[in-house]
Amino acid sequence: MPPALLTTSLVNTIQIGSLYALMALGITLTFSVMKLPNFAHADYVSAGAYAALIVSLSGVLNPVVIMTAAFIVGALAALISHLFVFKPLEGRDVSLYTLILSSFAVGLIIRYILFLMADYFNLFDLRIAIPLRILFREGSLILSNLFAWVVPTSILLVIALTLLLNRTPLGREMRALANNSTLARVIGIPVERVKNHAWLLVGGLAGVAGALWGMQTAVNPLMGWAAVLSVFAAAILGGLSSFTGTILGAYVVAFSEHTVMLFLNFNFGVDLAYKPAIPFIIIIAVLLTRPQGFTQFFQRGGDLQR
Amino acid sequence: MINIDIGATAIAILTLFGIYSLMAISLNLEYGIAGVPNFGQALFVSIGAYTAGITYTRVLPLLAGLDSVHPCGPTMGQALQLRSEIMATQPAAGFINLALTLLIAAVLSGALGFIVSYVTLRLKEEWFLALVLLVGGETVRIVVRGADDLICSHNGISAVAQPFYFLGDARSSSLMFMILCVALALIAYAYSQRLTRSPFGRMLKALRENEAATRGLGKGISLARAQIMLIGSAIAALGGVLFALNTGFVNTNDFVVNLTLDIWVMVVLGGIGNNRGALLGAALIAILDRFTQVAAITLNMSGSEIEFNYVRFIAFGIILLLMLRYRPGGLLPESPLTTNAHEVLRRAREPEPLSKRA
Repeated sequence: MPPALLTTSLVNTIQIGSLYALMALGITLTFSVMKLPNFAHADYVSAGAYAALIVSLSGVLNPVVIMTAAFIVGALAALISHLFVFKPLEGRDVSLYTLILSSFAVGLIIRYILFLMADYFNLFDLRIAIPLRILFREGSLILSNLFAWVVPTSILLVIALTLLLNRTPLGREMRALANNSTLARVIGIPVERVKNHAWLLVGGLAGVAGALWGMQTAVNPLMGWAAVLSVFAAAILGGLSSFTGTILGAYVVAFSEHTVMLFLNFNFGVDLAYKPAIPFIIIIAVLLTRPQGFTQFFQRGGDLQR
Repeated sequence: MINIDIGATAIAILTLFGIYSLMAISLNLEYGIAGVPNFGQALFVSIGAYTAGITYTRVLPLLAGLDSVHPCGPTMGQALQLRSEIMATQPAAGFINLALTLLIAAVLSGALGFIVSYVTLRLKEEWFLALVLLVGGETVRIVVRGADDLICSHNGISAVAQPFYFLGDARSSSLMFMILCVALALIAYAYSQRLTRSPFGRMLKALRENEAATRGLGKGISLARAQIMLIGSAIAALGGVLFALNTGFVNTNDFVVNLTLDIWVMVVLGGIGNNRGALLGAALIAILDRFTQVAAITLNMSGSEIEFNYVRFIAFGIILLLMLRYRPGGLLPESPLTTNAHEVLRRAREPEPLSKRA
């Protein structure tokens, strides 16, 4: 594999991996705190991306404003789905499959509302057009200001979330809830409020991920859904409980999707059409052989369940 | 406005009803009766459709005594014409091919279901099975789509004709096909009713309610789970064959997670654990599907900007949420099983009628 291709694919790995980390942390957090594998998470991403697109189309091209709008819409989508769907179900001691099905249903509703809207206003496959500048150029490797937005923003947000979980009262309460919700209630943690905050945070981060994603490719109603299983693969690599593991998992998934796939394509002639199968193979392999993922390497720090 | 032909609409709805019933009965046996969360139902349905895609292009010409033409690439048109000719002129070849397709599909899909069920033994948590099946279905879809020769990757295979195509008249051929679909669905229904009431069925329900207790009673639970996955998957594949024949088209894009969700909506709507519920759910969704198609076309023709096909999915999501929240048992909730033994017990407990006592 030529070195130029390798560097490009590594840049892609970092860029996509950072976005996957941002999304996968949300899935890990929802699963730990709310005990819910939330498939609608993908569609908070799409909703955030559309919010960002609409703001950018209205003429505001400041990435910070765009991302704030995406955060708000993503957070609201998550909070609404919690208040109207998941919370009423939680009280009734339903099976996990009911919750999974409901999350599919929520995702379906959000996705097709976006479809209706995109169809009506003709908003398919538009890029969030923040002005592009080339920062670095070396042969075929081009780094634009996009890279400078996507990667640091994702990494900063991931760090902020980790600090929030480990260093603030809210984070402590969330971890308590993740560890033992009955006990958390007994010692007087305001469970409902903590849950609401967790949902706002999870949805908001998903929304920002959507905005960043839409800056580098294009916005369409299926963008989140198309990535959901890659993101789940990352979260599963983190054992659905470890933050550090999930972040590492996100980069591993992105690395296999970009660098490994390109390597297989170049050296063994594996068709690039098989690329979407990679996260699936990761999920199946991890669940069958190492359901704890990377967790046992990270017993300390950033873990939601110990 | 378009004219709605009531006869044709009824035939279309009943055909869909038959096909959906097979899928819903299959999921109901697996999840409703045995508690296996099959979120990969689209996979087993797709096996049926892919089998049809392969047999109708490779086996059918051989049965008709002709050389087969490669169905993809430059010879695509020629192969398509060959298929249509055979279906129009040699009904016997068509029927034998259909029977073969149904058989192969059921065997392949059943075997896959049997194997997959053993995966559960290795999983740490039960719900991982849902994820593994979901992801497994998508993996198979991508591999089939990537394999150029199997069913022509992205293009798919068209003109997988209905077995009654030779009748010439579209109305009577679709009527006959409708009868075939409904008949198969009713056979599957009768079979699954029998199965549910049998000792095996009752053991599956026990397994669903409490795995440890069932194991404690000395029942071989992994084999039972494998058996019900075999039966369910085989039925789903029959649905897949008919699905392909009905649309006349085999394309990997039809077998995405949305299809799995559709089948779940049918079962949840009708009533989890009740075979009659599965039929009811399938019927309601068939009607809703046809209604959205007609509404979408009507709206488009009247110049409306709203794409009604999207509304269908929103409606499905809302139906699912409402059912799960307000009627988790479905429209026809599962009723306690009555067997002959129950009947005897009930009679023994009831006081004898006064007239007989005297």
